[in-house]
Amino acid sequence: MAVVREKGYAHWDGSLAERRFPWLSITRTGIRLAFRKKGFKLALASAFLPAFVALGGLYVSERLEDFKGLVQSNRALLKIDPAYFQLFLTGYFQYFILIVVLSFAGAGLVAEDLKHNALQLYFARPLSKGDYVLGKVSVVAFFVILLTGLPWILLIAFKLIFAGNLAFLAAYPWLPLSILGQTALLTLFFGSYVLLLSASSRNTRYVIVLIFGVFYFSSVLSAILRGIFRSPLMILFSLPENLRQAGAALFGGKLPHAVPAFWSFLVLAGICGLAAAVLARKVRSVEVIK
Amino acid sequence: MSIEVKDLSYRYGTIVALDGVTARLGEGAVGLLGPNGAGKSTLLRILLGFLAPERGEGKVLDYDIRRDQAMIRRAVGYMPESDCFVAGMDAVTFAAYFGELSGMPRQEAMKRAHEVLFYVGLGEARYRLLDTYSAGMKQRLKLAQALVHDPKILFLDEPTANLDPTGRAEILELIRDIATNKSIQVILSSHILDDIESICASVVILNKGRLAAEGRMDDLRAIRYSLYELRIKGDDAAFRRELEARGCRVDETEDRLIKVYMPEGADRMDLFRAAVRTGVQMRAFVKSRTSLEDLFAGVVGVD
Repeated sequence: MAVVREKGYAHWDGSLAERRFPWLSITRTGIRLAFRKKGFKLALASAFLPAFVALGGLYVSERLEDFKGLVQSNRALLKIDPAYFQLFLTGYFQYFILIVVLSFAGAGLVAEDLKHNALQLYFARPLSKGDYVLGKVSVVAFFVILLTGLPWILLIAFKLIFAGNLAFLAAYPWLPLSILGQTALLTLFFGSYVLLLSASSRNTRYVIVLIFGVFYFSSVLSAILRGIFRSPLMILFSLPENLRQAGAALFGGKLPHAVPAFWSFLVLAGICGLAAAVLARKVRSVEVIK
Repeated sequence: MSIEVKDLSYRYGTIVALDGVTARLGEGAVGLLGPNGAGKSTLLRILLGFLAPERGEGKVLDYDIRRDQAMIRRAVGYMPESDCFVAGMDAVTFAAYFGELSGMPRQEAMKRAHEVLFYVGLGEARYRLLDTYSAGMKQRLKLAQALVHDPKILFLDEPTANLDPTGRAEILELIRDIATNKSIQVILSSHILDDIESICASVVILNKGRLAAEGRMDDLRAIRYSLYELRIKGDDAAFRRELEARGCRVDETEDRLIKVYMPEGADRMDLFRAAVRTGVQMRAFVKSRTSLEDLFAGVVGVD
């Protein structure tokens, strides 16, 4: 018989501790695994492009005299107010880059565990279902915050540094709260949306297609329905438009569509509720067929 | 007793998986034996807290299976039957990750992961991606993640499933070493009799969700019945009927070897009396040592 042991087994002399945040290990591992994926670093770096463009705009706005020729036709864009931040944070490109990054980092979060039967390993540890889901959602939250809240709060700081005074913050003291609110909204929505789809299939590639497909198909469907029914209410079928409506409400700006923002919040909350229901059903230590 | 269950019942819809099982699993290696669908995996899952029993109670290391699930999971290791791993990881990260989730400090978990991977024979392959592992390596990996936090009890669910003979022998060798030299109690669930027989000192046999037998293997062999192997010439049907009328269980193998399970206290001369009464000639008569297979056949009724 072959001897397979290269070293003997020794008992561990430490003691196992009860952790306050056992989900943190899941989050940390999820983030590390995302960075190991091919092309992810490039996608993540590209995702900071809007923030760098906005930073350029902030700088130019404080040095208008130096950039007279450049800003002739872009004066409106360089008017720095909450609408400037709203333009970037609720823009289609922001959603697109989030979708790209989360396709890499989030599509396999639950799907891979389902495919490789890893859930039973997690739940053979002192982990609850809540710990598992929180750990996975926090991976999505990390990247959403990294791409929205963090850079845009920093941009306010840059604006103050470029201006050399606190006038901007004094004029719009609620702007950081709006940015944090929008970040929280995007975190909640994308956390739920990505995990909902990730728990719906064991095939990560299929989940990536779903993440892109459902998001953009909802827009196409909404446009078709608007064409047929001529009602602005049809924008409620579009995920990007609902996010824009809710974002505009958080920034106190003009709503893009003549529909109360409350309805958009309701639709987004519905997605979160659906995600919670699907996750409660799919995330189990053992498949019980009754 | 490290594990005790009392009147444990569970059903999947209308299918009864466990029906009033009461058992005590003592120290050392205990085999959980039964045909497919007997309720072995369900019992393990209830002990781990994956399933809540419909009725009954139980304790693992004095922790209540309904209330203290987290404490139980911290103290035990579980090696599931099916292939399971986390994609995109190497073995050392994988083992350390599950050590950390069990409550080990991060650096300790990493150090310990290296040790257990060497122990199970994956030392050289510990930095390889798990996606590239063979079936045998995945089986050892599952054992490593179950051992990483140094559990007091190790639950092994069909640990040799889907392995070639060499891989099977290697895994059994590891389990035997853990059970005999490392003061870790092993609960080995399997339908492969040889695996249980080669490792376990005691056994719990389940059949159709009920407890069919339990105890030390030697005691079970000795107490339950005596086994005789016969070859006869003549009307074997009549001979068989005569023995069954005397309370014996009779099985016949393909090569016409007759196995007679005589109940405790029966007189072996009854075999000869039955032969005389039915007019058969006894060509061979051997008192057989009861193997686990015989014991299993005796209590479950499956050959």
